[in-house]
Amino acid sequence: MKLMALGVDHHSAPQAVREALAFDGPKRGEGLRAMKARFPDIEFVVLSTCNRVELYVAGDPELMPQVGDLTQFLAEFHGIAVDRFATHLVDYHDEEAIEHAFRVTSSIESLVIGEGQIQGQVKEAYEAAKEAGTVGPILHEVFQQAARVGKRVREATGMDRGRLSIASVAVDVARRVFDHFQDKTVLVIGAGKMAELTLRHLDPLKPGRLLVTNRSFDRARDTAASWGGEPLPFDELYQALVQADVVVSTTASAEPIVSYDLYARVLKARRYRLSLILDIAVPRDFDPRINELEMANLYSVDDLQAEADANRKGRLRAVETASAIVSEETAACVEAIRHRHHAGSILRQLGDYSDAVRVRELDRLFASRPNLDESDRKAIAQTLHRFQNQLLHHPRTALRSASTVSDGSGRSLIDAVRHLFGLREGA
Amino acid sequence: MIDRLSVLCFAGTYGLALAADLARLILRVPVRWHAAVGLAALGWVVHTAFLANLAWRAGQVPIGTVFHSLLVLAWILSGIGLYLTFRAPKPSAIGVFVLPLVLALLATAVAMPAEARADWTRLGGWETVWGTIHGLLLLLGAVSTCVAFLAGLMYLAQADRLKRKRPQRFGIALPSLEQSERWNRAAITLAFPMLTAGLAIGIALNAGSRREGRAVLDWSDPKVISAAGLWVVFAALLHVRYRPEWRGKRVMLLTVLAFAFMLFTLLGVDLLLPTAHGVARGAGGGQGLEVSP
Repeated sequence: MKLMALGVDHHSAPQAVREALAFDGPKRGEGLRAMKARFPDIEFVVLSTCNRVELYVAGDPELMPQVGDLTQFLAEFHGIAVDRFATHLVDYHDEEAIEHAFRVTSSIESLVIGEGQIQGQVKEAYEAAKEAGTVGPILHEVFQQAARVGKRVREATGMDRGRLSIASVAVDVARRVFDHFQDKTVLVIGAGKMAELTLRHLDPLKPGRLLVTNRSFDRARDTAASWGGEPLPFDELYQALVQADVVVSTTASAEPIVSYDLYARVLKARRYRLSLILDIAVPRDFDPRINELEMANLYSVDDLQAEADANRKGRLRAVETASAIVSEETAACVEAIRHRHHAGSILRQLGDYSDAVRVRELDRLFASRPNLDESDRKAIAQTLHRFQNQLLHHPRTALRSASTVSDGSGRSLIDAVRHLFGLREGA
Repeated sequence: MIDRLSVLCFAGTYGLALAADLARLILRVPVRWHAAVGLAALGWVVHTAFLANLAWRAGQVPIGTVFHSLLVLAWILSGIGLYLTFRAPKPSAIGVFVLPLVLALLATAVAMPAEARADWTRLGGWETVWGTIHGLLLLLGAVSTCVAFLAGLMYLAQADRLKRKRPQRFGIALPSLEQSERWNRAAITLAFPMLTAGLAIGIALNAGSRREGRAVLDWSDPKVISAAGLWVVFAALLHVRYRPEWRGKRVMLLTVLAFAFMLFTLLGVDLLLPTAHGVARGAGGGQGLEVSP
């Protein structure tokens, strides 16, 4: 049995090449069907995401397509010249291919290490291949194990935890201050790109009310309209601060727009209700001493960036543990595939061997009893066939069961059957 | 003696649950959460069975002795801890706060003299009924105070993290400030009327006994003075709880102080000061609600 992974990713190929080779939407089904037609009796899974396009291929060594065959297929299917992408292709074989599939699913190979989307994308690729009928026992094993390994890596390392962008860390911080947002007012000061980005991250929290203020009222109105908020004139900032539980400030002001004394007054007017200020403006919009005020929690862009960096470092540290898990799981998967292959081979040999013995003995009997009529011969042959089946029923069942268990007990049983019936290993 | 040994069974299970909860610092497998919650739940079930058996044998609510009262207090707290653990997001370290207090209460219970029992268990008639209500209300007040104290600790820890910008990636996850504040406020609001009613019934019972010439406590007894002080502390706490300018850390620190005062009043006075209250005189108390075989 051979296994190969061939494709491009963000490490090996520029975006234009990845896009040219992508199997988007209906293209994936078409691609799988085309591969099945071109390489029958071979297993295929096509993984196509923004950052990678990979073919996973498995089958008998004599029937396996080579890298060149698959490269040609990709060129023909996508209608692009081979030399446009061939140098970017990376191929992995057998154990390496399994390890690569596990690393991809565990998000170790992702552009953003630890991102959770890849697991769903791998699952989708596997389901599509199942639907197209291009998955056999090897890729079933590999992709079912990949889903499990991805989950195990995520749980054991926490690689997916901790956000990496300033805007998403801001949401984490908001959740540490408040546990629900339906009754909260969010105030956005400024209407630039950063404000939009933060709003996009805060939107799923479904805040009860959104206020937007900006020195240019028109821009405040536009931003507010895009997010279902209320625009406020900039000179109503104080009243807006009093109402706001979460403040996102992103102005381009050269001086702080909210002083310590002003926010102390705001807090008093708020009757000292909890507040969170996300000051993501550079330079700062809020006096940093506001963080010393009881009930006010002020996060600057540096604070958010520091947390994002710490999360990124944490994910990188987790890669070592994740890689160790992947290596261990790869060895187990290879062993399971080999074991299943051996068990299948022993079952076939056992059938062939017992058929040969039965036929030989029948021939010998009929040769020594030429006066047996046709109906007697048929009855004897049927009896012997039934005898053979009944005799082998339990060994076959036990072997099939052992083929799903790759531990010591499964291997011992297969070895025992081979010795008992004098069968050859790996035939 | 056998009762005290039985306590070690569920206390041990709570201890293991706490160890599983603390393992979050080094172990990142989901089975850890299940182990921590499973062990805490198992401990609570055994604890419940133990108290049910105690109540069945005694034929009344097992709050007649300090030993039993502390067991019931620990049982209610442990139940609340489990409920909050299920309600809060999985990473929240509720058990890390609740279980040490539960274990401390159980350890105190085991260390208390077996004969230390409340006076009202020996009086009979309506006085026993009111005495039971007095005990129950004080017990529930103590539960609320414990919850307020734990919520206060969680708030202080989370507030400190936010002020110092410490991420919680590999630390102990805490409920949001808003959540802890809500729990604290609700618990204080419940504690005050229960403590007030419980203390008022205690005063009435004592006044009744004195009128009938069966003086139990002198009005200058340390227990009476301490109880009055406790009420004043809780009245002050409730007052500032609803003063906007006191919100946040100051209320939480005052809650910690109120909790300490409550412990002193309910246990410390009996053990440390010369009081005529039931517990201190317990060693010579004779008959009563002792149900140990």
